Amino acid sequence: MVDSEAHLKKFQKELSAGTVSLVLLAVLARAGEPLYGYLIAKQLERTGDGVLAGKQSALYPVLRNLEGGGLLDSFVEPSVSGPPRRYYRITDAGRQVLQSWAAAWRATRDSVDSALEGIPA
Amino acid sequence: MNATAPMNARPLPTTIPEYLEQLRAALKGADPAMVQDALYDAEEYLRSELAEQAGRSEAEVIASVAGSYGAPEEVAEIYRETEVTVNRALRQPRPPKRRSLPGRFFGVVADPYTYGALFYMLLSLATGVFYFTWVTTGASLSAGLLILIIGVPLLLLFLMSVRLLSLVEGRIVETLLGVRMPRRPLYTQRDKPWLKRLGELFTDWRTWTAMGYMLLMLPLGVAYFSAVVTLLATSVGLMAAPFAALLGHAGAGIYLDGISFSLADDWRIAIAAFLVGFLLLFATLHLARLVGHFHGWLAKNLLVRDPVV
Repeated sequence: MVDSEAHLKKFQKELSAGTVSLVLLAVLARAGEPLYGYLIAKQLERTGDGVLAGKQSALYPVLRNLEGGGLLDSFVEPSVSGPPRRYYRITDAGRQVLQSWAAAWRATRDSVDSALEGIPA
Repeated sequence: MNATAPMNARPLPTTIPEYLEQLRAALKGADPAMVQDALYDAEEYLRSELAEQAGRSEAEVIASVAGSYGAPEEVAEIYRETEVTVNRALRQPRPPKRRSLPGRFFGVVADPYTYGALFYMLLSLATGVFYFTWVTTGASLSAGLLILIIGVPLLLLFLMSVRLLSLVEGRIVETLLGVRMPRRPLYTQRDKPWLKRLGELFTDWRTWTAMGYMLLMLPLGVAYFSAVVTLLATSVGLMAAPFAALLGHAGAGIYLDGISFSLADDWRIAIAAFLVGFLLLFATLHLARLVGHFHGWLAKNLLVRDPVV
């Protein structure tokens, strides 16, 4: 039993590496307004399941690295409740990348689903 | 992935500064720039959560956050891991390491940070002059006006501007030289009274080392700029010798303090000059990369503050 749990954890970690970037891009593309880390985390908390239900601290480094890759840009605004907030929004390059990632995701999902057909859930 | 709080974890902190302190302890030994980012992110999340759940105590909020954001040890683990995986996925791959000696010597052209460093060396003249002017003007103006009351706010503004400039310089260094630097301003200690926080502008020795770095940037910038311009011009000039000979510019050469070396009179000399120039060009690229490493190290040691929480 313990063994299968360790396998599951490892699999979830590997699965989340790319999907988290994809979901963050999608959330920011749909939002239409700049969002800061906490708001993004809360949005994912409402809808996220499976590997996306992981610890929300994992989102921040990914956001920062998406920005480093030019897919997001950001600006800082002061806030009354804490340190100045960094707001993120998606760039044009980010939208293009999101389209190609979404296509890759859908193709992968379909072929994984068909490979899994007939396997009891 | 959820609900796997480690059993050996320390008791959950009850205040935000305690949480940040534990996070910092858990990240001990990690890259200081990454520690600074992690603390900043955690504080943003915790403060937002606290503002959201008005009416609940700080300890209750932190207890609930341990499930969603993660306990300090878990967060530290995530940062150590995510930083590595995400960097690997989104960064340009480094060029393959070459084994042979000529491969290593000429392989320098394929390293993007070579050109970053070259550009940084040219840019450093401008930034160096600016930083030096800013620091000397700011320091003498605020020190001189200290006898009047206006000098005090001026001094504080000046010290804060030094912090801001060191963050900007950090971004330049990371982009061009590839050394990890903080991407967030350090913003903690909100619970301390503002007088104490202002006092820490003076007691924090990074403020003073950052100022030293900015003063140092003037001589360094002049040296870097002169070295790059001289070496590039010399190597390109030497490489042009055969073309000068081809076009019949006999007598073209280098004149140094009354002594002249004519390079375009003889074919053999012209070809030799070309080869020397070619090697010098690559040696210059190596020098640029070396300077880039050195300067990145210098900036990291003088500009990155030990995050105090």
